[in-house]
Amino acid sequence: MELSRRTLMKVGVVVGTAGVALNLFEGKAGAVVRKIPTKWDETVEVLIVGSGFAGLAAAAEAAVNGAKSVVILEKMPIYGGNSIINGGEYNAWDDKFHLRQKLNLGDDSADLHAQDTLKGGDFFGVPELVKILADGATPGLNWMIDEGGVQLREVVNRTGGHTAYRTHTCVAGVGRGYAEPLRKIAESRGAKIRLGMKVTWIWRKDVDSPVLGVEVETSKGMQNIRVARALVLASGGFSRDVAMRMIYNPSLGPGYSSTNHPGATGEMIRYAQAVGCEAIHMAFIQLYPYAEPETGMLDAPAVYPFRGPGFGIVYVNKAGKRFVNEMERRDVVSRAELATGMKPTYSIFNEEMIPHMGTKDEVEKGLAKGRFVKADTLAELAQKLGVPADALQETITKHNQYLKEGKDPEFNRAYTKAMIPLEQGPFYGIAQWPAVHHTMGGLRVNAKGQALDIWGNPIPRLYAAGEVTGGIHGDNRLGGNATADCVVFGRIAGTNAAKEKPLA
Amino acid sequence: MRPIILALLVMLLYLPDVEAAATKNGSPGAAATTGCADCHADFASVLPTEHPVVAGKGIAPCLGCHQPDGGQKPAPQPFAARLHRAHATETTLQCTVCHTWRPGKSFGLRGAKVSFGNPGKDEMENLQAALRSWANSGFLDSLHAKRDVMCAACHGATLPTKGDTVENGRCLLCHGPADQLAAKTRPAEFPDRNPHQSHLGEIACTVCHKAHRASTVYCLECHPKFEMAIRGGSGASQ
Repeated sequence: MELSRRTLMKVGVVVGTAGVALNLFEGKAGAVVRKIPTKWDETVEVLIVGSGFAGLAAAAEAAVNGAKSVVILEKMPIYGGNSIINGGEYNAWDDKFHLRQKLNLGDDSADLHAQDTLKGGDFFGVPELVKILADGATPGLNWMIDEGGVQLREVVNRTGGHTAYRTHTCVAGVGRGYAEPLRKIAESRGAKIRLGMKVTWIWRKDVDSPVLGVEVETSKGMQNIRVARALVLASGGFSRDVAMRMIYNPSLGPGYSSTNHPGATGEMIRYAQAVGCEAIHMAFIQLYPYAEPETGMLDAPAVYPFRGPGFGIVYVNKAGKRFVNEMERRDVVSRAELATGMKPTYSIFNEEMIPHMGTKDEVEKGLAKGRFVKADTLAELAQKLGVPADALQETITKHNQYLKEGKDPEFNRAYTKAMIPLEQGPFYGIAQWPAVHHTMGGLRVNAKGQALDIWGNPIPRLYAAGEVTGGIHGDNRLGGNATADCVVFGRIAGTNAAKEKPLA
Repeated sequence: MRPIILALLVMLLYLPDVEAAATKNGSPGAAATTGCADCHADFASVLPTEHPVVAGKGIAPCLGCHQPDGGQKPAPQPFAARLHRAHATETTLQCTVCHTWRPGKSFGLRGAKVSFGNPGKDEMENLQAALRSWANSGFLDSLHAKRDVMCAACHGATLPTKGDTVENGRCLLCHGPADQLAAKTRPAEFPDRNPHQSHLGEIACTVCHKAHRASTVYCLECHPKFEMAIRGGSGASQ
């Protein structure tokens, strides 16, 4: 017996009557039938939901690939989502200045980047998509430099889970250093950003129908916007929705802070699911191991522990002892921190490492705010941090010895010649603790950025890019891969969305 | 919408049944109460001591000296503000004591050839609610009321409608330029913890400063430990 996908999806779903929407709408019986608008307030050729890296990159490309009107809907009162507050890291095996080679930090390749990404996600990532990410990261970075004026610091870091120095940092040291240039590119090409526009539904008629448009809540009331070419979802993840993350991982309750902006609440994933879109890997939710312990904030100082391992930073617990291989991935480090049973843990570094991880100015500001702690000796640092001085001294002495010998019998850290021993003061410490940071799961997409339905077929005129998608980072995203993911797949989705044949 | 002057937008507040009043009296915009003396038997007592004697009814006699003071400029409008402030929470008065109004058709001032647009019934209700809030909410609107700053100073030449926002440029006409404003709120201890010059770049004033409801410090959404206060916030008196 042939049971077609249409037949299957029709079960329990209101389909067939002209004008009634394909509908898994949450609500009471009376609210179930949602009629497709007979009149639209507006038609836009390429409509994008979300104004972070992915949405901006999609808008920029859509605007030069044939779309006559490109509009980004942003529900928050400011643009940029998590992108303008992220740590400012971008992984690429190369860049137009060839910084890694210039700084004599060894070899790398797009293939190695892809391998590390797949392995770092325990091979849950889709190899085809990961390859696109790794191949597209360098051109994406150079595009932002050339077209948008992105400025890079003259440092390249080797960060947790990576086997090469490929983590670039923008001069701003925060994601705004990429978001502003992307906005500039998108707007100069004619894309418009509208703030305070919250999408509340995706219109689709039936299981063969394209996406027709969206319903939007605005300060002036509800609107229905029709899409003439395509809808691109670039609306981010759901780290700030405690209930939603607990559906997939009940352990991540309200006791966990989040590094995210308040709008990271994932409702677009649900709306997409409700019109047949597949969501995968939803239980894979990343903790950022180095957030400010009390609030979960990821401020400029909170990026230093992430950037530091390749240059010799050491993590210790409250007993003054190492508890993990510092070169490990975020999930491993976070779990190890939680397993110490003592909140918080600390990163220890010295003066010489600062220019490799950030700037003196940033560290001074962090000191003034009490985020960093500084001392001339390890004993004094231990006292200021509240860890046993003799234990910290012994830990660092042993670490220095391991580094010299190139072998770590305790945690098997892979040492490199770029790492600096913790011999010379002044020394610095910073408290750190895991906070919910990134949701690896999301909408299933193909290599063209098309969102796929539960049968694996592209949903006509629906695209997705960035954190709203799932399947690229597997069960653990490597730090610095998200920005590259957003830029690379945002560009792809925007380009292909603009090439859809426009409706009249 | 036609350009209008908002200075004397809604002269008297809270009209439970404007249309009924208008119909009852036969002439559109007519009101049950027609003059100040209906409530202020000793009208001279509500005027400043040096104020000349006023003869006649309603707003018309005032307009001989107090020209509708032009609402399009972002400047205080003491005459209009004083009248609106004094009557905004008065529940027995009607706008049409001073204003003429034919819902959806015209809106003006008795005894003056002036048009403030053509608000319908819903729009008028929104305007009334906003003006009541302006008079005594404790929010940002009422802080402006205390300085005689009326609707048009922020909303410009047209009647505000539901969901209207105010662009930064309008705020900065009085509160700018932006760098000077930022200098005033730069914390001595942590200069980069400045709400007017933050890592978010240039954002809308209205992200934090809400006129007709409680203002909120957006920074605190992610930085709950910051000690930041905002005028017209939820602690404001109602």
